[in-house]
Amino acid sequence: MIEFKDVSKTYPNGTKGLQHVNLKIEQGEFLAIIGLSGAGKSTLIRTINRMIDITDGQLMVDGVDVMTLKGKELRKFRRKIGMIFQSFNLVSRSTVIKNVLSSDVPDMPWYKTMFGIYSKEQKIKALEALDKVNILEKAYSRCDELSGGQQQRVALARTLNQNPSIILADEPVASLDPIIADIVMSDFARINKDLNISILINIHHVDLALKYATRVIGIRNGEIVYDGPTSEVTQEVLNLVYMGKAVPKSTDKIEIEGMVMNNG
Amino acid sequence: MAKKNRTPLFDRIFKPEHIVLDNGHTVDRPKSRTPLILVAFLIIVFISMQTTNFNLPRLISRIGQFPVILGQIFTPNLHYFDKVIPLLIETMKMSIVGTVVGCIIGLPLAILASSNINKNKPTLLICRFILSILRSIPTLIYATVFALIFNLGAFAGTAAIAIFTLSIVAKMLYEAIETIDMGPFEAMQSFGATTLQSFWTACMPQILPQYFDNCLYCFEMNVRASSILGYVGAGGLGILIRERTGYRQYHDLGTILLTLFVVVWAIDQLNNWIRSKLS
Repeated sequence: MIEFKDVSKTYPNGTKGLQHVNLKIEQGEFLAIIGLSGAGKSTLIRTINRMIDITDGQLMVDGVDVMTLKGKELRKFRRKIGMIFQSFNLVSRSTVIKNVLSSDVPDMPWYKTMFGIYSKEQKIKALEALDKVNILEKAYSRCDELSGGQQQRVALARTLNQNPSIILADEPVASLDPIIADIVMSDFARINKDLNISILINIHHVDLALKYATRVIGIRNGEIVYDGPTSEVTQEVLNLVYMGKAVPKSTDKIEIEGMVMNNG
Repeated sequence: MAKKNRTPLFDRIFKPEHIVLDNGHTVDRPKSRTPLILVAFLIIVFISMQTTNFNLPRLISRIGQFPVILGQIFTPNLHYFDKVIPLLIETMKMSIVGTVVGCIIGLPLAILASSNINKNKPTLLICRFILSILRSIPTLIYATVFALIFNLGAFAGTAAIAIFTLSIVAKMLYEAIETIDMGPFEAMQSFGATTLQSFWTACMPQILPQYFDNCLYCFEMNVRASSILGYVGAGGLGILIRERTGYRQYHDLGTILLTLFVVVWAIDQLNNWIRSKLS
C-alpha cells in the first residue's frame, strides 16, 4: 500500500512540484495519472521510489516511511519497485537479454557484475520475463535493432525480472504510435491482473487511461483535483484537470484503431 | 548605461567615414582595423627575433650543411640494424606495458572525474585537478625524474609512459562519459543498483568502443614518445639516438629512424584494422 500524507515538493528553484497531496493506493490497483505537462505527474511518481525527495509531509510505502531510508536500505527498498520510462532507458548497444539481466545486478557480487557473469537460472528467469511480454524471439538481438514498442516491452520485461510489487511508469507510451501504445497498455493491464502488481502510469492519452486503468488521478499545478474510479471520469472532470481546455477528440480515432485491433 | 553605448577607443581616434546617400540617409563606415593589427603583429615578430637571436645571414651561410646530414640519414647503414633490434624491442616493451598500466589506472580516474557519475563535488574537482597537473608535465620530465628515482633504464621509461597515458586516457574518457545517454543509468538506480553497478552495467557498454580507441591512440603516441625517452637515460631506442648523434654517425641514425618509421607505420595499420573491427 502506498500512502501520501499531506505531501509537498518544492524544487530548489521555487517550483512547486506537489502541493498537499493525500492519496491511498491499495496493492494491485491500476492507476492512471493524468494532467498537463509540468503539472507534477512525474514528480508524484518519482517520489514513490525516492528518485525525487519530498520536502514536506509523509510518504509511506508498504509501511515504510520513504524519507527515512538511506544508502543500502534505500537500494533494497527500490528492488521491489519497478520503473518504466518514456525513452525506455535501455543500453541500446547491448542485447535484449543483457538488458533484462541488468536488473539482477544489484544482488550480485562485484566480480560477477564486472565480467557480466549470469547464472543459468538467472538467464532462464530473464527469458521467462521476455516471454511474458511476448518478445522472447528477440532475446539475443541488439536493442537498437528493435522498434520503440518492442523496446518498451523489453523495459517492461527488465522490470518484471526484478519481481516488483509496484510498477511506476512515466509516460510509457508517449513515444509510441497509437496501435503499439494500445498493445503496451494491454501488457500493463495483463501484468496488473495476473501478478497483482500495483501499477501507476503517467499518461497523456486520456482514451487509453480510461480504457485500461481502474482508477484515475487528475493532477493540476501539483494538486490532486480528481481521484476516483475510471467510470466516473466525465467531460467536466477532464475540463477541471486540463484547466478548462477542451480535450481534443483523439478518442474517436482511437476507437477506430481499437476496432482494427480487434479484427486483426 | 551610457558606458554601453560608448564608441570604441579605436573609432574615436580614427573617425569613421561618413557616407551620405542620395536620399539623405547616412551610414558610418568604421575605419579598417587591419593596418593596426598588421603593425602590432610585425612588432611582435621583431621582438621575438631579437629575443631568440634569430640570424638570417647564418641561416643562409650554413644551410649547405642541411643536405649533407640529410643525405647521410637517407643512406642508412644497414649493418647497424643488428644493434637497433634489441633496443627497439625494449622500446616496444616499454610502450606496451606503459600503455596497458596507464589505461587500466585511467579508467577509475575517468569515472571519478565525470560530473554526471560522480556527484561528489570535492572528489570530482580534486580528481580533475590532479589529472590536469599530470597532463601538463611532459613525458620527458617524468622520464628524467623517474630515471633519478628508479635508476636509469627501461623501468623509468615505462613508469613515465604509464603516468602520461593515464592522464590522457582519463581526460578523453571522462569527456566521453559526460556525453553518454544517462537513461539506462537512471533505470539501474531506480531498481536499487549502486552507482558503480549502474555505471558498469549501463554506461560501460556505451563507452567501451571509445575507451579502446583512446587506448590504441595512446599506444601509437607512446611508441614514438618512448623512442626519445632514452635521451634522458630511461631506456629504449633513445639511448642509441643520443649516442649516434653525439658521434655524428648519421648513417646509423638513419637506420634507427627508418626502423622506427616502419614500426610506427605498422602499428598505425594494425590500429586501423582493430578500430574497423570495433565499430
